[in-house]
Amino acid sequence: MTPFLTVFIITLLFLSGVYVAAVMERWSVTGTVNWAGPMRSFLLLFAQEEIKTRKHDKVFFETAPVLFIGVILLTISILPFGRDSVIIDLGTGALFINAALVYIMVSLLMVGWAVNGVYAMVGGWRALAQLIAYSMPVVMALTATVMRAESMFLTDIVESQQGLWNILYQPVGFILFYISTLAITFLPPFNLPVAKGELAGGVWADLTGARKLLFRLGRLTLVFTISAAVVVLYLGGWMGPWLPDFAWTFLKTLLVAASFFAICRFMPRIRHDHLLEYNWKYGVPLALYNIFQVGVVLLL
Amino acid sequence: MISLQLILLIIFGLVAIWFGWRVFMTSSMVRSALSLLASMVAIGILFLVMEAEFLGVLQIMMMGTEMSIMAIFMMMYMMDPGGLGQMDMYHQKNISIAAGVIVTVLIVGAALTTDWGTIATQFPGPHEQNRLLGMEILKRSMMIFETAGVTILTGMIASIAVALSIKNSVEK
Amino acid sequence: MELLITALIIAAVLFGIGLYGALSQTNLVMIMMGIELMLGAAMINLVAFWRFLHPDAFSLQMFVLVAMTVMALEGAVGFAIATQRFRTSGTVEMEESAELKG
Repeated sequence: MTPFLTVFIITLLFLSGVYVAAVMERWSVTGTVNWAGPMRSFLLLFAQEEIKTRKHDKVFFETAPVLFIGVILLTISILPFGRDSVIIDLGTGALFINAALVYIMVSLLMVGWAVNGVYAMVGGWRALAQLIAYSMPVVMALTATVMRAESMFLTDIVESQQGLWNILYQPVGFILFYISTLAITFLPPFNLPVAKGELAGGVWADLTGARKLLFRLGRLTLVFTISAAVVVLYLGGWMGPWLPDFAWTFLKTLLVAASFFAICRFMPRIRHDHLLEYNWKYGVPLALYNIFQVGVVLLL
Repeated sequence: MISLQLILLIIFGLVAIWFGWRVFMTSSMVRSALSLLASMVAIGILFLVMEAEFLGVLQIMMMGTEMSIMAIFMMMYMMDPGGLGQMDMYHQKNISIAAGVIVTVLIVGAALTTDWGTIATQFPGPHEQNRLLGMEILKRSMMIFETAGVTILTGMIASIAVALSIKNSVEK
Repeated sequence: MELLITALIIAAVLFGIGLYGALSQTNLVMIMMGIELMLGAAMINLVAFWRFLHPDAFSLQMFVLVAMTVMALEGAVGFAIATQRFRTSGTVEMEESAELKG
């Protein structure tokens, strides 16, 4: 495929995927499927007046939303949508996903500090604790998939799932990666940093207008990117019987995103100390056990 | 001979130096920590320009986490984290400026006057690099790797032990 | 040859800035920032030597990994010491930590 066609198809799939994810997010909050809802919210937030708090930190206030979206767009450009439909085939692709998730955390910290408000700052520290904690099982589960493929190129990781998809080969790793990435995108039940009731909106409490739009849109693109990463690493990427490559990736990504939002709708918010306890006491040992098990099965 | 690599090295080197300078020149504490993060990211991009891909991505990833933790610790322990009150935070300023300048001049002098030998132009690509680095870790440098692992464990236990708060119980 | 010299000069200037910071700041966290800058400059040197002089000796990349480990560890232990210091005397300023001075 020519590069221009590749970029065009990936952009088209990306935008429609983000729109469908926005419709699903509205479903997870209210229970009704409203296909024009995201357009109305977009236009409303775009036209809203921008209120800046008193003595905000100018550098971080401007930089944080741009960093948030920029990092996610970089990540989507290294994920393969088809056999040769990848914009940048990076040699250390699997590690790059983790590096990008760290900068999501840095931008949340920046915006929590910049707004000069108590609720936003507390939300920022909660985001720091939650995202550092849940990055650990992510990188260990990634290591297990890289072990099977013996290479860090993302196209090689998908090719190595020819015989058996990784979800069946490493079930513990799949469950850990799924739950940890759900926690990293701070969707409910993990949405303590942006808690509506408890923290009056948390990190986003004092943002209005175009900045809030960038953050909400950024969170939806993050959900889509993470679903694409789950599909590439665990669900066999583009493999399927009769549709072309990128169609299969797109359908599987939408399926994973729908399952994320279904969990959002039906589970209550997890308390902060339970959140960290589940990660450090149970998540990290399980991730190490996963690496051990994959190593043993590989050597047999 | 001006090549693209030289231009990129100079640009990102200047970015790293400028952000490193801003760390000690700003009075807001969180800005100082995040400016150090920007300097470390520039160093990571320098690694990527010098074709050490794994090391560059690893540096960028680790420094993000580390500098965010540094930011929260500065918030906890400094008297004036916002930097809105003007305080002068230095002592022995002249000695330290002199030390910095003298050391820089010495290192640059050593770099310019040594005969470095032939410059290599053949280097392995990213796939080969990952494989060879893994082979190196598990064959020749296995002892170093294991020692690093045990050192990390010792560091974890030591830092938790130092940071525990032992309250003296009331004497009965 | 210019590439190697450029990289070494950049690393030298960063090392000088880090040394200035480590010697002139009064706060423990700022001193640690200076040390991190010095270690970063050393790593630039190592990668430049790997790329331009010995691209087939991967023990140099192992050295960089060990230096990154040292950066993380000294951060962790340094913050633990700062925590304990803050608990006992209420400040982490190095000016007021002169109890052992003769």
